Amino acid sequence: MKTLLLVFKKPVSVVFLVFFLSLSATGFAQDDEEITGTVTSVGEDSEPLPFINVMVKGTTRGTTTDFDGNYSIEAAPDATLVFSYLGYKTLEVAVDGRTEVSIQLEEDIASMDEVVVTGYGSQEKKSITGAISTVTSDDLERVHGGSTVSSGLAGKLPGVSFRMADGRPGASAAIQIRNMGTPLYVIDGIQQDEGQFNNLAPNDIESITILKDASAAIYGVRAANGVVVVTTKKGKKNSKSTVSVDSYVGWQNWSRFPNPVTDSYTYQKLVAEAEVNQNGSANITPEELEKYRVGEENGYKSFNWKDFIIKKNAPLRNLNVNASGGSEDINYYLSATNLKQESVLGDEFRFERSNIQSNVNANITDRLKVGVQINGRIEKRENPGIPGFDDYWLPRFAILRNRPYERPYANDNPEYLNDIGHNETNWALHNFETGGYKRDTWRVLQTNFTAEYDLPFLKGLNLKGMYSYYIADHLMNGHEYTYEAYTYDAQNDTYNVTGGSTNPWREREQNKVLRNIYQGQLHYKESFGDHNIDAMFIVERQEAKYLRNWVHSVPQTNVLPLIYFSDVDTYDDSESEEARIGYIGQISYNYRDKYYLSFSGRRDASWKFAPDQRVGYFPSVSGGWRITEEQFMKDWLGDSKVLDNLKIRASYGVLGDDNIGIGAFDYLTGYNYNQGVAILDGQPVIASRDKGQPITNITWFKSKITDIGLDAYFFDGKLSATFDYFYRLRTGLRGRKYDILLQNELGYGLPDENVNSDAQFGVEGALSYNTNFGDVSFNVSGNASLTRSKFISSYKPRFNNSWDRYRSSSEDRYNTIFWGYEAIGQFQSQEEINNYPVDIDGRGNRTLLPGDIIYKDINQDGRIDGYDERPIGYNNYNPLINFGLSFQVAYKNFDLSADFSGASGYSWNQEWETRIPFQNGGALNEIFLDRWHRADTFDPNSEWIPGKYPALRYNNGGHSNYNKNSTFWLHNVTYLRARTLELGYSLGDGLLDKLKLQRARFYVNAYNLFSIDNLQQYGIDPEVNDTNGLQYPQNKFVNVGINLSI
Amino acid sequence: MKKHISILMIMAVLAGSCTSDSEFLDREPTNILTQDQIFSDPELPLSILADFYNRYYDFGRLEDWPSVADFNVAYWSEAGRYGHFENTDRGYGDWGTWDYGYIREMNLFMERLQASEGLDETDKTRFLAEARFLRASYYFTLVKRMGGVPLILESETYDFSGDPSYLQHPRETEAAIYDFVISEAEAVKDILPVDANSKSRATKGAALAMEARAALYAGSIANYGQTTPSVSLPGEEVGIPASRAEGYYQTALTAAQAIINGEAGNYSLYTKKPDLSENFASLFYDKSNNPEAIFVEDYKLQSGKVHGFTIANQPRYGAEEEEGGRINPSLSLVEAFETLEGECEPLPITDGSGNYISYENPDDLFDGRDARLEGTVIVPGSTFKGRAVDIWAGVILPDGSIVSGDSRGQQKEFPGSNGQEQVVGFDGPIDGLEFTAQTGFYIRKYQDPKAGSGQRGVQSDVWFIRYRYAEVLLNAAEAAFELGQTDLSAEYMNQVRSRAGITTELTPADITFDKIAHERFVEFAFEGLYFFDLKRWRIAHIVMDGVPMTEQEVTSDVCDVTDRLTQPWGLWPYKISDPGSADDGEWTFRVRKPGRATGADRFRLGNYYSEIGQDILNNNPLIVRNPNQ
Repeated sequence: MKTLLLVFKKPVSVVFLVFFLSLSATGFAQDDEEITGTVTSVGEDSEPLPFINVMVKGTTRGTTTDFDGNYSIEAAPDATLVFSYLGYKTLEVAVDGRTEVSIQLEEDIASMDEVVVTGYGSQEKKSITGAISTVTSDDLERVHGGSTVSSGLAGKLPGVSFRMADGRPGASAAIQIRNMGTPLYVIDGIQQDEGQFNNLAPNDIESITILKDASAAIYGVRAANGVVVVTTKKGKKNSKSTVSVDSYVGWQNWSRFPNPVTDSYTYQKLVAEAEVNQNGSANITPEELEKYRVGEENGYKSFNWKDFIIKKNAPLRNLNVNASGGSEDINYYLSATNLKQESVLGDEFRFERSNIQSNVNANITDRLKVGVQINGRIEKRENPGIPGFDDYWLPRFAILRNRPYERPYANDNPEYLNDIGHNETNWALHNFETGGYKRDTWRVLQTNFTAEYDLPFLKGLNLKGMYSYYIADHLMNGHEYTYEAYTYDAQNDTYNVTGGSTNPWREREQNKVLRNIYQGQLHYKESFGDHNIDAMFIVERQEAKYLRNWVHSVPQTNVLPLIYFSDVDTYDDSESEEARIGYIGQISYNYRDKYYLSFSGRRDASWKFAPDQRVGYFPSVSGGWRITEEQFMKDWLGDSKVLDNLKIRASYGVLGDDNIGIGAFDYLTGYNYNQGVAILDGQPVIASRDKGQPITNITWFKSKITDIGLDAYFFDGKLSATFDYFYRLRTGLRGRKYDILLQNELGYGLPDENVNSDAQFGVEGALSYNTNFGDVSFNVSGNASLTRSKFISSYKPRFNNSWDRYRSSSEDRYNTIFWGYEAIGQFQSQEEINNYPVDIDGRGNRTLLPGDIIYKDINQDGRIDGYDERPIGYNNYNPLINFGLSFQVAYKNFDLSADFSGASGYSWNQEWETRIPFQNGGALNEIFLDRWHRADTFDPNSEWIPGKYPALRYNNGGHSNYNKNSTFWLHNVTYLRARTLELGYSLGDGLLDKLKLQRARFYVNAYNLFSIDNLQQYGIDPEVNDTNGLQYPQNKFVNVGINLSI
Repeated sequence: MKKHISILMIMAVLAGSCTSDSEFLDREPTNILTQDQIFSDPELPLSILADFYNRYYDFGRLEDWPSVADFNVAYWSEAGRYGHFENTDRGYGDWGTWDYGYIREMNLFMERLQASEGLDETDKTRFLAEARFLRASYYFTLVKRMGGVPLILESETYDFSGDPSYLQHPRETEAAIYDFVISEAEAVKDILPVDANSKSRATKGAALAMEARAALYAGSIANYGQTTPSVSLPGEEVGIPASRAEGYYQTALTAAQAIINGEAGNYSLYTKKPDLSENFASLFYDKSNNPEAIFVEDYKLQSGKVHGFTIANQPRYGAEEEEGGRINPSLSLVEAFETLEGECEPLPITDGSGNYISYENPDDLFDGRDARLEGTVIVPGSTFKGRAVDIWAGVILPDGSIVSGDSRGQQKEFPGSNGQEQVVGFDGPIDGLEFTAQTGFYIRKYQDPKAGSGQRGVQSDVWFIRYRYAEVLLNAAEAAFELGQTDLSAEYMNQVRSRAGITTELTPADITFDKIAHERFVEFAFEGLYFFDLKRWRIAHIVMDGVPMTEQEVTSDVCDVTDRLTQPWGLWPYKISDPGSADDGEWTFRVRKPGRATGADRFRLGNYYSEIGQDILNNNPLIVRNPNQ
């Protein structure tokens, strides 16, 4: 506890602790007897099992076994004890008056009876016929690599592509299912958005299930890109009340970031070199350059901007406290989480989130159950007010913008911001004191009310209703202050204002989101001998309203926070609504858990389309066959444990998407109001514009997914494998018919129609192996996936000529082509340039120097132009290939786990600061030190010394080296990076007893510790996307934490 | 079965369905007006007209600063735009426009307006005339850039029969489109109000000014098109027969004289301020009772309609924001301003024997020049918003060597300095450093002197003048000259020149084509008119012939605007450091070319009319291509 209190000094955290601790007090009945016993594992090497839950059925009384598998509990002689633990089959044993009850628990490795949450319900794993992957809380809780849920999913799920290009506080990763596009998120049965998913507290998540194929069709309208189904934790019935604390502190450092040349002498020498290369002479004299080398006079010293801006070991803290438990009739899970993440830019750049989750279910009668789930959060982002849209941009840009002889403070006096001529990148401005502030807060509350009634007249028939209300409130306040920048006048010892901004920027944005969801469900589940039937019918209505306003003012003072009417110059206001209705039916049948067949259909209607185009039907079918249940297989396999279970499954479904790029009222004619303002005779008049031709013919596009897969278990379930092939064909994508040419002079074009098609296809698989060697339990698992997308066809495409077809056509081609030039080498001498037959630079090769890039003249016309481009890489954002590897080892009190993930099949284009030396006339990227250059900087006739990059030019992006995308600059990326490395230690039994704890575990954890990839040489994190390399990269984390249960 | 029905009914209740599905799905838009709502309201049609006014398509626009400063009258001091001066050829598609959607919306507006009831007849008539004026304005824009185009005057609808060829129209002749513009102006001029105070809506003055300009352009194409016979098409979609020149010039003169005679209201030259440079500058930003502005695009602070021209171009030193200084007028433009005596002389940088002259103040060099110079250009040593600009490139030592720096206002020690001293202006010029005055000059025309105009959060509401009285005078002067009425021409020219402070009057014998072309060059610099002057006189391919300029060329024949102008050159002031000498602390000037201006503009014959896009040709086989592409 001391550790905890040291870490969290805030009194509020302590209050939470005390509150939850008080919840855990339990009482004992008087006439019970003490029962003791030992729990061991089944098998020849029977071991004592620690941490097993032991409950008295029908009460809240419970305990856990100690390290030697022993327990003791008070129970009535006629009571029943329930033994349970994750990974073991639950066992109920009647006491029957005994005082010693020792039992053996059977391990439940990769259990086929495990329940998986799917669309509008859950299924046993063995009965699943779709392509579904799940990650559970055990896995998620080990990841401490960011503040959002998606940032912890790297490599965890086959078929899920992961890329986290930006790692600022509060950032999320881009995850897609099979690269199909942004998926639909369903949280506890409610369709939600990506932001809501990302900002759940990871501690509150029980499982995340990915529906990758036709199994998503049950979500119909928006499920074409797959569905992510999230289930939050619930208290278990008949489980002891437990209070758990999970707390960790982490320290973050940037994984990689480009380095500038930080000493003034080298910088100025290379400027001179670039000028000599470009113009034949340098502006600076060798005498003046010498002053930079000495570096003693003002103006000639060096300053390291990167060290000035980037702080080391920025903290991230997380505290979760939860209480859960349950009796026969009521179960609950209550949780509160607080997370604070600071940035390497300092403690003024920060993210903080507080979550609460309350899930309570109660049985009112034997037949009627009710429940309420409350999920709330406050999400705050704060940073200094910095010019530009993204306040995190200029501090990063400054590292490659500010030249090493420039200094942040005039005369190094921190009272005076130095006028460096481009003061918006002067880091000394980027703080609350001088620059201003930006505060951005989301407050979100989601409440779901459920009622479930088992109908009396038919066994297995169950009626369920749900109402969900969601409200989100967003408030953003920003104020960029006016400021002055000074130049020091040494002669008079004065500081003169020579720069700055007189422009204050004050803005406020407010958003409100209101959603209502109504659901009625009818379930029927019954077995008739060997025939098992599971059917459901659902009605669902969803509506949402979005309100937004944004106000901008020009305040007359930096110090007061309010916005005054006379200072306001812009006010934007908007309001919009959405409405969707779905009718869903599903029926599943299985025969002896051997043959499975499931049909589902959904009728959806969306407000977005013209009234007669609103409805779409989305059927799906899937089937499975457990071959190992067949008698002939059983006969053949005999007692062999090699193959325990083999299931082949296939599915086909039609999914829809109403997000086809049209607005909600495009089916109406009329005029759009507020299309700008015109000043007519001195008065502002709000302009209206004809909406043009109404779009009445467009409706859903159809997404048809086929999936064939198999699941297999070998060696007594120790080895499990799954494999899938999928093909998604989308038809009815928006496009145009080109066989009728409508002249542009008509003033409008033919309307788009549902005519184009594309496909996404690939394979994925996963393997997992669990075993024990004596005291050591061991698990290794891996997964990999490959997906590609292809444009299939448009409606009768037209091309002007064969070149146009080659260059512009997408018919039957992969979608992710990056076009550029092929660099076939670098000139080795001036002589080679003079004799080179191809005009590389468009200026008769006059601008070329040794070391410059030679492009391949593909069409052999003697010059390099657009006709010489060819496919050289990928232009997709999410990787085409993803893989993950995971190891877990436990030995006595120690546990060790290691996760790795990697990806391939995407490109990074080296541009701007990472391509053009002295971009913006700023600092020089260190990578250019390895360059072609002359032996003597100032002598244009001295010999050339080869290097990697072409001879330097000063900020000359128009040069043929730099103005073309080529294989020299485009890098096809592959990486494998260490994600989670964790070592944990759990306290032994004796200590736990003394401390009156159920469990205490301490761990050291690292995330993103290293990466093996081909971008290291450029100082670029392999997941960065920005071509200038200046994106806020992911962090390396080192965390220490504690798990306590009371 | 009954049971099942009852279950379904319970479900329906649970689903919260108190409303039917279609009621639930029908949501009301918050920003769409129906046709009926608009055309039954007396005010709302103006809202549609407001959009048409906003889409008026000028060549030069304040929101797009490069558009007023192209063709080497200025260098662009912004890193991302240096490439503009490294290239030679201009694309054939440049300056093209083909916005028939705009025309269709105007046609629909007129049709719906005519069919509407409940509107006041006076309003309706005026709205209709305004729409006709705006439609004619856009056809004028089309014909200037593309030549003759299909003339579509009513909205058409495709019947989805599979064969839209019945809707295809060929290009009209270039003359036919000019004729249309002129006849529309004639038709609406007496419907539109006679009101010199209404600047931002169409008036009689605006219609006549458009007519005069259009007729003058048509006349000069007919006249000078003969010098470039290949710039024409056999069907006359491009090119106007020489025989029509006189008629067009006469139309231009008549229309211009109607304004000069006061038929359209009280327009006159702006002469409010005694300081003539100040007067010339304020003609562009003084919005109260400005007698010179005829038709403008107006802006208003805190209305949502403002522009950032001042932010983009304010002198960098003392700028209200950390940017500015983008348009750097070229030396060729600066030299073109005559002396107050009306003489064309290069700036006295050197004396007769070639020695550099030193000046006590940097702006002394520009003394005695046409007042429009300092009304158009911010020269070294002058002020903006009451703050002196600090334009100087370095310190010249007695041995002729130069000490300079590569950041604004940099300080260094040098022989003769008193410790660290400033060696370069806070406004530059520093070659290659954006936002500094890389040619040694900033632009003054259209910059807003109000506090806050240089702030991103405030911006400027200076209007953009599309037609002004001085242009009417010079249009009349040119038309009169071409019609042989040189006395009339001299009279109009002298009005404009004396407002600029030029003391020597032109006699009818002085009037030549070159004189008129030069007057327009200096009077209308940065107003978006220069490009069309180059085109209609068919001199663009001569002025921009792709050959780099020499210093000698830049500083000689300074008034001859039909000479080569392929690169934007500059003039850099240096401070003399020669302690003990009389020149110490004085200023001397050097002619410089921005280092990045490595290209030399070439205007090809195929650039006279913009390329018609392949998609347009594909969609309508009746459209013929423009020549020489």
